[in-house]
Amino acid sequence: MVTQLVKCPTCKTTITISGEPGEKIDLTCPQCNQKGVFRLPGEKNGKILASNSSTIEVKDLTKTYNHFTAVNNISFSVQKGEIFGFLGPNGAGKTTTIKAMLDLIHANTGAIKINGIDVRINGKEAKKSIGYMPEKVAFYDNLTALQNLAFYAEIKHASKEECISLIQKFGLGDVGKKRVGTFSKGMVQRLGMARALLGDPPILILDEPSGGLDPRGVVLIRDKILEMKKKGTTIFVSSHILSEIQEICDRVSIINKGVLVAQDTVEGLRKKLNLKPHITVTVDAISGKIENAVKKLPGVDSVKTLGTNTLEIICDGAMKAKVILAISTAGANIQNIQTKEPTLEEVFMKYTEA
Amino acid sequence: MQFNVFLNVAKKEIMDNIRNKWVILVSLMFALLTLVVSYFGSIGSSGWQDLGNTISGMTQLGSFLISIVALMLGYAAIIGEIERGSMSALLSLSATRFEITVGKFLGLGAVLCLTILIGYGIAGMVIAGNVSNVDYLAYLGFIGMTMVFGLVFLSVALFFSTVFSKRSTALGGAIFLWFLFNIILPIVFVGLLATTIDFTKITMETTLIVPDWYHVLNLFNPISLYSSLIGITIGPVQSSTGSGFIPNPSWYSSGLLMGVLLAWIVVFFTLAVWRFQRTDV
Repeated sequence: MVTQLVKCPTCKTTITISGEPGEKIDLTCPQCNQKGVFRLPGEKNGKILASNSSTIEVKDLTKTYNHFTAVNNISFSVQKGEIFGFLGPNGAGKTTTIKAMLDLIHANTGAIKINGIDVRINGKEAKKSIGYMPEKVAFYDNLTALQNLAFYAEIKHASKEECISLIQKFGLGDVGKKRVGTFSKGMVQRLGMARALLGDPPILILDEPSGGLDPRGVVLIRDKILEMKKKGTTIFVSSHILSEIQEICDRVSIINKGVLVAQDTVEGLRKKLNLKPHITVTVDAISGKIENAVKKLPGVDSVKTLGTNTLEIICDGAMKAKVILAISTAGANIQNIQTKEPTLEEVFMKYTEA
Repeated sequence: MQFNVFLNVAKKEIMDNIRNKWVILVSLMFALLTLVVSYFGSIGSSGWQDLGNTISGMTQLGSFLISIVALMLGYAAIIGEIERGSMSALLSLSATRFEITVGKFLGLGAVLCLTILIGYGIAGMVIAGNVSNVDYLAYLGFIGMTMVFGLVFLSVALFFSTVFSKRSTALGGAIFLWFLFNIILPIVFVGLLATTIDFTKITMETTLIVPDWYHVLNLFNPISLYSSLIGITIGPVQSSTGSGFIPNPSWYSSGLLMGVLLAWIVVFFTLAVWRFQRTDV
């Protein structure tokens, strides 16, 4: 199975298509109804072609611990240059999946390919293109930040100058010669991100990169992720900070109890769930007449009164004009209107509520 | 296999242990004990003993100490890093489990050998400055054999650090191993011997004829192996255990005993690699 993101030539909407390698897919743009045919990239000699194909491909991955199935037959692929968010509640199987992708744990079944190379067969080669930041970032406490980075840099064939530059970029220039054992959690986390970026890897796998960071640190990491994306780096990120994922990710996958329950763009997931925007209207004074006028409108799912002069309406985005008209006709003076699209948090809650 | 991986892992282990003062502390302990044994250790005489007598006195005490030092050095080598979380970062690089195990063994082995060399070296120099007729070669041989003996326990510890899933359990396992090799096995072997020989009729002057199976069993205990190796290669070893007066059999040779010690290293190192390959990090 190959998944590919394509852009509609007319309205530039991003569309996700999936199918077998080399398969022709008939497409209709959901926005402008433009029709077209797209051929998925082919497969040659068991190695997926590098151009326009998955950089990370996970197929039918299952991992069990004794009788507990941590990850159950999941498949997904990450395209070159995209930021792929991997979401799920605690214990859903996110870290297990990431560890299997890096061959840190032995999967029971399934195939994992990085740039077309099977991690379980030639992990050494596959991992050359990966920068990884684990959920639990750890270093050698007796060594300084610079000594720690230099140790990993030598294995990755990166230079000492790069270590110094990364330490400075992550705001650790002043403490580079101090033992890591004296660092705060946030400092260790930033050093962990610096380690992941050593050697400028084309693929970044980040497991909760913002965990334990202060807001400034969160922004620093987010900016770095976006900077890496601009350079064409493929980024796989697992995070609990859903607002951040929504902001930076091209596509997301949601895993729950070891099973992949959704995979699409954030917009695509919203549409699949038919989640509607929240329209908050502030008027001079709310009356029963105004509330009823809005409730009567077809396509309005719910109307809630907030305080003495605010209504929260959940309806199709296209109904906004009709809602405003109904409120005005009912005799209210509209003071403010705000439209809030459904957040990834709502999508996440919906998919993981069971 | 990438040389830079295991050389870097080895270098990191050495730096780590130098920075935490481990090398200095253990070296000083070895030096001090050797000097104490040399000055006070020989019954019936006082003052500095020559290096030969010091080796004789240090063999058993050294085997107690070096075995525990090597076990403490290696018991957390793998599981400690897995538990702390640094192993996942290391394995996410293009480093294999085999390369990491080799690097760990080389690095920790270098640390252990360095402490033995510094400790015994300092003591040897002090003793040599106070006595005449110094057999430097025998003393260097003693240091070399002690290093190999230490590496046996390091190899065993490395294997045990891949067996347990918690650092604390691995520590318990290491302590048990020390008791097993230093106390339990010698008692069990002598106990088995007692079923065939009446020790009540034995005097210190009696030349004890011990069945070969006992000597074969002793090959399975590196402590006995080391003591026999020093005895055969350098000279008699002072012993506080009841089995000390049991002579080495004629078929024991320096080559054989050294070969068996090296086999211990190879077998447990191979087991460590095999086990680590199957471990989830």
